[in-house]
Amino acid sequence: MKILLGICLIPTIICLLCLFKVSNSAMRKLVPFLLWVELAIICFLTAPVFTGISSTIDILADFGIDRISAAFLILTNVVAASSLSHAAVFFANERKLGNLTAPSNEIWFYFYAALFLAAMDFVFLSVNLGFLWISIEATTLFSAALVYYGRDKHALEATWKYLIVCSVGIAFALLGTILFFAASQFCIPAGTLDIRTLTASARQLQPKFVQLGYIFCLLGYGTKAGLFPLHTWLPDAHSEAPAPASAMLSGSLLNCALFAICRLTELVKLTDHAALATNVPVFWGALTTLTSSLFLVHQIGLKRLWAYSSIENVGIMLSAIGLGSPALFLLQAINHSIAKVALFLLSGNIIQVSGTKNLHQIRGILKASPACALTLILAAAAVTGMPPFGSFVVEWLILLKAVSTGQTLFAVSLLAALAMGFIAVSTHVCNILFGASGKEPRLVLSKIHVLIPLLLCICSLCMGVTGLTQEILGIL
Amino acid sequence: MNLLPHEVSLLFSAVVACLALGSLHLKVNLALFSFQTFLIAVATAILAHVTGDHELYVIALAIFGFKALAAPHFLSWISEKLTAPRDYGAFLPAPLSMHLCLVLFVLSFALARELPTSQAAGHSWLGAAAGISMLLSGLILMLTRRLAISQVVGFLVIENGIYTIALTQTRGMPLMVEMGILLDLLVAVMVAGLLIFKIQKSFEHIDIAQLTDLRD
Repeated sequence: MKILLGICLIPTIICLLCLFKVSNSAMRKLVPFLLWVELAIICFLTAPVFTGISSTIDILADFGIDRISAAFLILTNVVAASSLSHAAVFFANERKLGNLTAPSNEIWFYFYAALFLAAMDFVFLSVNLGFLWISIEATTLFSAALVYYGRDKHALEATWKYLIVCSVGIAFALLGTILFFAASQFCIPAGTLDIRTLTASARQLQPKFVQLGYIFCLLGYGTKAGLFPLHTWLPDAHSEAPAPASAMLSGSLLNCALFAICRLTELVKLTDHAALATNVPVFWGALTTLTSSLFLVHQIGLKRLWAYSSIENVGIMLSAIGLGSPALFLLQAINHSIAKVALFLLSGNIIQVSGTKNLHQIRGILKASPACALTLILAAAAVTGMPPFGSFVVEWLILLKAVSTGQTLFAVSLLAALAMGFIAVSTHVCNILFGASGKEPRLVLSKIHVLIPLLLCICSLCMGVTGLTQEILGIL
Repeated sequence: MNLLPHEVSLLFSAVVACLALGSLHLKVNLALFSFQTFLIAVATAILAHVTGDHELYVIALAIFGFKALAAPHFLSWISEKLTAPRDYGAFLPAPLSMHLCLVLFVLSFALARELPTSQAAGHSWLGAAAGISMLLSGLILMLTRRLAISQVVGFLVIENGIYTIALTQTRGMPLMVEMGILLDLLVAVMVAGLLIFKIQKSFEHIDIAQLTDLRD
């Protein structure tokens, strides 16, 4: 109970501040402060899970956390705190450039961002499949308001696509959830949606309903995670949303959907259909990784590039889930989120400086803003899995795991996709860094603009060079 | 074959869903959708009476209030405000999509027959057939219509189908979960409605077939 209150407290305060029409400049200072406080509260509340004797905490009947979900909870709040701290400088720049649509839009942005964060927190707290579904649908509804921040035609189109595609996709996950409920009624007359009870009686569940339910949930949550070919909403939404919102979408929302898939995969692996829960995610993950790396090659939008790179990482994470390693999934999610948030935040700045999203028109960033350019190189290297960054270690571990479980074909296609993705991303990054821009930079970036991305890159570096990865693997 | 009263109601509602494909007039579509949802609410109430499960009465009432009354009224209010009485046209002609729907109707019976049933849990395969066929007709509606409002109607029909499957395969989800789902739906319809207003304002139409600016 204490945990639920602790988690809801700060988002409620932010929403109240927004409703009482606190000025924009005050909000820019207050929101980051409050969110770092929220992160501290969550770390404090979830600490017993990692240090205590019992690795789970039950909250009421339908909520609870274990080590994996506690780690995701912390990660989500790190992402939110970094993104919204950076949002302060982002919006200040927008104002300088005169891009702000209306001052009240910024307040509404913070309002929905707080609700969005709370909904994501509840995804990780739910141990009831029904509440899990409700929270994930709530994240769609709240984040749609973030995507619509730009208030122009493109933002509108992206929001509409996002809302409709994800709602219909998620409806299929509801069907899957119902089928799991039906499956449970064959051994527990009243039926249950509690993932712990389902796991305990996994072998007595009706097999046909379990299979169907799993497929539908994979389809539904897979739409939300952006798996090929259900990814159509993702590049549009990520590209049209303001940079801090793109960072939150990519760094935390995708994890929510994958987390739901992970929970269900773990459950199905305990039934007699373990092969289904291995082969389908591994194959689909490989397919997603391969196709998205192809999309990376001919890309015209800077943020679309990072969106497709997110899809590539989603594919890798799904494969890690399919290989039966939630720990590797968590590690890949941490590395991807940290680096991708840095990239989206930097891209927001770059778009402000150059005044365009078009990759063919952005040139000479190194000259316009050396600090920004160097951080961009670090972040891009971290996201493509260059040593010594954390994602290199994790991707290496995933490849080892794949080969040792006999999924050689998957390992080969993953390697090919990673290589292609790396080449494509580095070509694009080099193109925008060097060369001469015909236009004068519209803005001079100071150190404060690269502070948070740089800190995130250092975190990613720590994940690789210190023994942090092994430590996390040990704890889980 | 003995049909139970709630199964009759659900199958009838699946037929109504199929009929809705035959008209491009929004008023007709919304009225048929409203009637279809009313039949589902009736089926829920009948089931509540038969099983003595009082939670189902609450759910039936909530479905009737929100899905059969509020949502169609909200959508028809939008259509009046935006003077969009009928769809701009469908990617499939109406007769063709009705025929397709009939074929899928048969298919859903074949599919539902395969579902495992147990008497103890009160599973009914006819109800599942009705649910699957509603789901599929909702999908056809969403895929073939161009008007943004019709898309929302299609989404609600899909949701009706899923609810029907839940009702007949599991005797309904737990009350708290069902209420949460309805709340989410309510917000989704509201958000979609607001967006439709904005689309009309920026684009001066609500034809989603023309929203194709964003692509790779």
